[in-house]
Order: sequence, then structure tokens, then C-alpha cells
Amino acid sequence: MPSYLLKRLLGMLPTLMIVVLVVFLFVHMMPGDPARLAAGPDANLETVELVRKQLGLDRPLPEQFLTYVLNLAQGNMGVSLRTKLPVTTEISTRFMPTMLLTLTSMAWSVVLGMLVGIMSAVFRNRWPDRAGMTAAVSGISFPNFALGMLLMQIFSVNLGWLPTVGADSWRHYILPSITLGTAVAAVMARFTRSSFIDVIHEDYVRTARAKGASEPSVVGHHALRNALIPVVTMMGLQFGFLLGGSIVVETVFNWPGLGRLLVDAVNMRDYPVIQGLVLLFSLEFILINLIVDVLYGLINPTIRYK
Amino acid sequence: MKNFVLPRGWRTLCLGSILAVSLAAPGVALAAGDVVFAVGQAFETLDPYNTNSTGTQSAGRAYYEGLYGFNQDLVLVPLLAESHEVSSDGLVYTFKLRQGVKFHDGTDFNADAVKVNFDRASNRDNRLARYNQFNRIAKTEVVDPTTVKVTLTEPFSPFINAIGHPSAMMISPAALQKFGKDIGFNPVGTGPFQFVEWKQTDYLKVKKFDGYWRKGYPKVDTLTFRPVPDANTRTAMVQTGEAHFAFPVPFERAQQLKDEGKVDVIDAPSISVRYVSMNVLQKPFDDVRVRHAINYAVNKEAFGKVVYAGHAQLMDGVVPKGVDFAHVSGPWPYNPAKARELLKEAGYPNGFEASLWSAYNDSTSAKSVQFLQQQLAQVGIKASLEILEPGQRVQRVSQAPDPKQAGVRMLYATWSASTGEADWALRPLLASEAWPPQLNNTAYYKNDVVDANIAKALRVTKREEKAEIYKIVQEQIWKDAPWVFLNTANNVYLRNKKLSGVYVMPDNGLSYADIEMK
Repeated sequence: MPSYLLKRLLGMLPTLMIVVLVVFLFVHMMPGDPARLAAGPDANLETVELVRKQLGLDRPLPEQFLTYVLNLAQGNMGVSLRTKLPVTTEISTRFMPTMLLTLTSMAWSVVLGMLVGIMSAVFRNRWPDRAGMTAAVSGISFPNFALGMLLMQIFSVNLGWLPTVGADSWRHYILPSITLGTAVAAVMARFTRSSFIDVIHEDYVRTARAKGASEPSVVGHHALRNALIPVVTMMGLQFGFLLGGSIVVETVFNWPGLGRLLVDAVNMRDYPVIQGLVLLFSLEFILINLIVDVLYGLINPTIRYK
Repeated sequence: MKNFVLPRGWRTLCLGSILAVSLAAPGVALAAGDVVFAVGQAFETLDPYNTNSTGTQSAGRAYYEGLYGFNQDLVLVPLLAESHEVSSDGLVYTFKLRQGVKFHDGTDFNADAVKVNFDRASNRDNRLARYNQFNRIAKTEVVDPTTVKVTLTEPFSPFINAIGHPSAMMISPAALQKFGKDIGFNPVGTGPFQFVEWKQTDYLKVKKFDGYWRKGYPKVDTLTFRPVPDANTRTAMVQTGEAHFAFPVPFERAQQLKDEGKVDVIDAPSISVRYVSMNVLQKPFDDVRVRHAINYAVNKEAFGKVVYAGHAQLMDGVVPKGVDFAHVSGPWPYNPAKARELLKEAGYPNGFEASLWSAYNDSTSAKSVQFLQQQLAQVGIKASLEILEPGQRVQRVSQAPDPKQAGVRMLYATWSASTGEADWALRPLLASEAWPPQLNNTAYYKNDVVDANIAKALRVTKREEKAEIYKIVQEQIWKDAPWVFLNTANNVYLRNKKLSGVYVMPDNGLSYADIEMK
């Protein structure tokens, strides 16, 4: 197992290197001139050229790439063209709020989603199933900016129970995590249900029942473990998406997260920030995939790592 | 399912947390003397010479002051200067400075400080984003501690407006020395408030400066500027009391909020003109009859009602009301029959096809071009819409290298003359020197009378004479109609009923010199 992990971790390096090259080329080929955008509409051509020099964008592209890679090797991701702050600072101040919001959203939505999914599978085509799936479809269909605004109107403006914006105390997490988690809970519920229904007709479930295992044990032990594999895969994917930051939720609740940073960076063609974020997101997905693979082994001991 | 009941412990827990939530909220108490502004734009840097964001400049008025400034009606008022004199050739400006003014770091404000700031702004090597506002300063000389003499490279009559602009602030020379390039994170000025903390993702906080020269001011202890990108959220914050002021707020919600009566809803005029430029180098817009026809074809009254829920004024001249030397020539009447007639005369009896781009991708702009498309269709013009995101706009409009090849035809855009004076409402948009990629003359309009008079006005310092020149310019442009003259949208903002002395100025900046909380 340790050697497997080491191998996987080393395998990340070439992937990340390719990501660095592709992202660098990609952002520099996007239409739009960061110097003009930074200088703004009041600037004439001469001022735009001054700003271009200030930002170091007047140098040839291969030179810029080389500098970028050399700096990156030393852990320096460059300086934001927009705010002049180091990219590492820009990202790190927003990483924790995004991470914590992702964790709180995932925690309740995975638990609730799986409970509803199991319930629906066990009581298939009876009213708990109908109710659960109606809720799930509604959760997927309801746009989350509308949900966010609705929750804010009810709980902050009308009832005055919860704050509208900010990320300072646990009460700030309630509305954004409900908004963000709803779609995840819905997806999880539907996934768990279908995966469970597949499993519940397998021979080993019948065997378990035949040998006299109680129904909770059949559902919770024999069926659940086997149904978990696709569910965990989905969970990993959702986790990765949420870690990218949700633009909608961050905008509505003014959450200081990574999604808005990416949107602002793309709007202003803030090359170093875009590169840094894409690199981070790639890294996160690779790591999550690795964790999911390890989880497979824990859930199903017949899976071996080589 | 019927016996699915939460265990007892859980029930208490749930009940407890619901109680805790309802008792503890709303946690953001209205701290006495702290006024919270919910503003639309995030701050990029706090160096006023290196930004184009009105939001940054608005916050800058808390800790910085210039020699002159604009009041809430965009009228120039002396701040750190008491008066000035202009030499007869319009080249030398001599300023008499206010005495006894101190920077927040305890150093004196004097002629040396003015020299340091103007030298910094006018030096190319500093590569500041507002360089072209100060590039006409040839030299700044200290006459005595309260007198400073600025010599220009060429006469420039709106110079006082240029230095009354919220970018031309006086920064403490000692702080410039100490912080160097990091002055953008550590503002030190003479303003009523001094800088406390800037958390980029969250807020900018300033506190009362005890040594402020205007005795008895400011009247509140601290200000907090919170950038909140979503307009509905800003509105909610004022409703819950988490913020005392919000701008901008959604036009559609203004009436409802007014009816509720819990917060003050203020609808103030602005100088942000909304127009469509038509590329006059290209067919069919090279024909003035076509440009007139399009102006007749658009119902601007309805435009304001549909897009801005009525919070807009018709554009009644090239330069909007509120900008110095504005001349009234309109508004342009709505007359689709006349539009069709003119199109027929010009040889387009069945209309034509053309592209209409929006320079911005926010929802209000999208609505605007959709409305225009529908209006143009009424007279047979089929407009294909494209909503440009900022990078595309720069690539396809601002940086177009060859005027003849430029792809822009009709472009929906807005402009706010940041110096509050006709020159900056005309020269960057309609002088031939301002064709992209130089500046923003996206109509590629060129008229010798206009060019000559815009240049002449810069050399004239007498008001009456200048007004006459700008009148000629504006009437010529109105007649040539390189634009569809739409409207100026109002600034709609919310204010807590206890708060007074805070305004959104016509240039979208904030004015809060007399801020007070009851």
C-alpha cells in the first residue's frame, strides 16, 4: 500500500507539468489584453504600454514561460496583475473558506442524500420512495442562486435569524451550506437509490436473508457496502467540484472563496491567478481520485493495490 | 416509516440549536458610530494614481484629499488648496495651500508634499495607470511652504478638473518614502479618516482622524466598506441592518423598497451616458440619413422604462447634464415613420442587416441591446446581437489595429466623464485622435470643426468663450449623429433612515464628507 501511494504521488508530477504548459499557453492565447484591461477606459495607448511594461507583459512569451516555471519550482506562483499581491496569498486567503464551506455542505448532504437514497431503495415505489425522489428532483432542478436568495430573504431579512454575508462564525455557514449542499444531496440520493436497487437483487443479499440475518443487517451491512462503490466515486467528483468554489453561492452570500477569484481573474485576464487556480484545481482532483481509489479498498477488501 | 422518531437526545439537540440560532441573531450589532457601506466593486489597490475603479477612488475620499475635490453635485470645491491663479497663457498654475493641515503620520502638508505627488504622477518611469491625466505637467516648483507653482507643457484648461479628480490625491511624502510600491496597501493622507485595515476578500476599515483640519468633523467613529458583488444581497444587508448604505441596487426593486418605507431609497441623476456608436467608416453607417433614421427608430422613453424601470433621463445633448459646458440639443424625437422614410431615401427601403455589440456582459446591458434589437426590427433593420465579455471587448474594439478593418459596427456602451468637464466627455469618444487603439472613438467619427474646436477649448481659459466653443462642437456632433443618443441612467441607492450626509455623486463616486448617524 505505501509503495502504491508513492507511485501514484510521483505519477502526479508529469500530469501537473503538462497542466502547467497547457494552461500557460491557453491563458496567453485567450483574446483580450490584460494591460488594456488594467489601465482602463481612461487610458490612452501610451499609458497602456506603460502598464504593459509594469506588468512585465512586454517580454517574449518563451521568456515569460521560463520565468514562470523557474519561479514555480521555488513555490512562487507570481504576482496578481490586478491586485499586485502574490498569487499564493490570493489563493491561500480564499482556500480555507472554500474548504470549510465544501466540508460543511458535503457533510450534511452526503448523510442526508444517502439516507434518503437507501430509504427510497428499501421502500421502492412506495410513498417514502416517491417523496424522497420528488425532493431529490426538486433539489436538482431548483437553481441554487434562487434558493440562496430565497433563504436569505426568509431567514435574514424577514425572520432576522441569520446573517446575510461573511464567513466569520458558524452561523454564517448555515445558509450557504444549505444552498450549496442541496444539489449534492439530491444527486447523492438518486445515485444511492439506483446503486442500492441493483445490489438488493444480487444473490448474496438473498443468501444473507436466507441465512436469517435481520433486515437492518442485510441493508446496512451486506447491501450498503456493495452499493457504496459508485456512491463514493460520485462523492469524490462532487467534492472536487465544490472545492473549485461555487460562483453563484459565493456571489449571493459574498463568500470569500475561490470561485469568485477565478471569475474576477478571467475577467481581467489576470494570467498568474488563472494559472495558479487551474493548477490547484487539477491537483485537488488528482488527490481526490487517489483518496477515492484508497477508499475502494477499504470498502471492498477484494480490491488489491499493486 | 411510521416509527421513525428521532432519539430523545437528538430532539433536545435540534431544539437547542434552533433556539441558539434564534437567540443569538442577528449577530452583527449596530456598533455605535460604525457605518457600513455595501458597495459593488472590490478594491484592487488603494493607490489612487494606479487604478481606474470608481469604487477604489470613492473609498479613497475617506483617507485622502486632493487640492480640489468635487462635492455631491459634481461641483469643484477647494480642499487642500485655498485658491489658485492661472497665467494668461494658460501654462502656469499657482496654488495657495491651506495652512495647518497634517497627514495621518503627523507630518505637515505643504508645498513640498504637492511637489512630491505631482512629480510622482507625471513621471513616465513610475508607469502609473493614470499617467495620461498628469502627462502635461512639465514641472512643479515650491515657491514657499504654502505656495506651489505648476507649469504645463501646453495649455490645458480643464487642469483644475484633472486635479480635482479623485485620483489626484495628496499622499504623505514620508509614507511614500517608507512604503514605496506598497503605498497601495498603506494609504496615508490628510483625509477625515485614517486607514485601519484592508482584508481584500472582506472589508476596508477606516477610523476617525483626530487631527483633521476641518474642526468638528468627521462625525462618525469608523467606516467599513464591504464589497458585495450581488445587488440583491446588498439590498438585503441594508434591510437587515448589517449595512447602512448600499449602491448600486436593482432598478426593479426600488419601487417596492420605497413602498415598504423601512429604508431611504434615493434616485439621483448621473452623468453615465448610454449610447450606441455607429462605425461611420462603414456602409451603411457612412450615410448620415441612416444614422438619423436609427435615432428616430428608437423609443428612448420606452427604453428607460423597460431597462431601468423608469430610473433614467433622456439624453438631451452629446454631453450630459451635470457635466460642465453641457449644451442641450435634444432629446431626439421618436418617429418610426420618419425613420423608414429616411432609410428609403438612403437606398435601404427594406432595411439592412448589421451587428450590434454590447460592450458589457451584465444583465442590464444585455436587456438594453435586446430592446434595441426589437426597436430596430420595427424599421426593418435586422441587428445580430453579441454580448462581449471584457477580454473580447478589448480584443475586438479597443485594440483593433486598423480603423478600416475594425469589425465594430454598432456598439452599445456607456461613458462617465470622470473629470466632470466637457473635454473628457468629448475628446476620448469623438475626436479623431481618439480612434482605437488610442482611445474610445468607436464610431471612428472625424469632423474637422469638432477636432479643431476640441483642441481650441483646451487653450481657452475664459468660461464664456469656452462655453461657446463647446456649443459649436456639441451641435455639430448632434447633427452628424455618430451615436444613437439613448439616455443617462439614474443612480439608485439605499440609505439607513438614521444615516445622513452620504450621497452617490453623478459620476458614481461616493461623497460622505458630512456623514452623520443619528
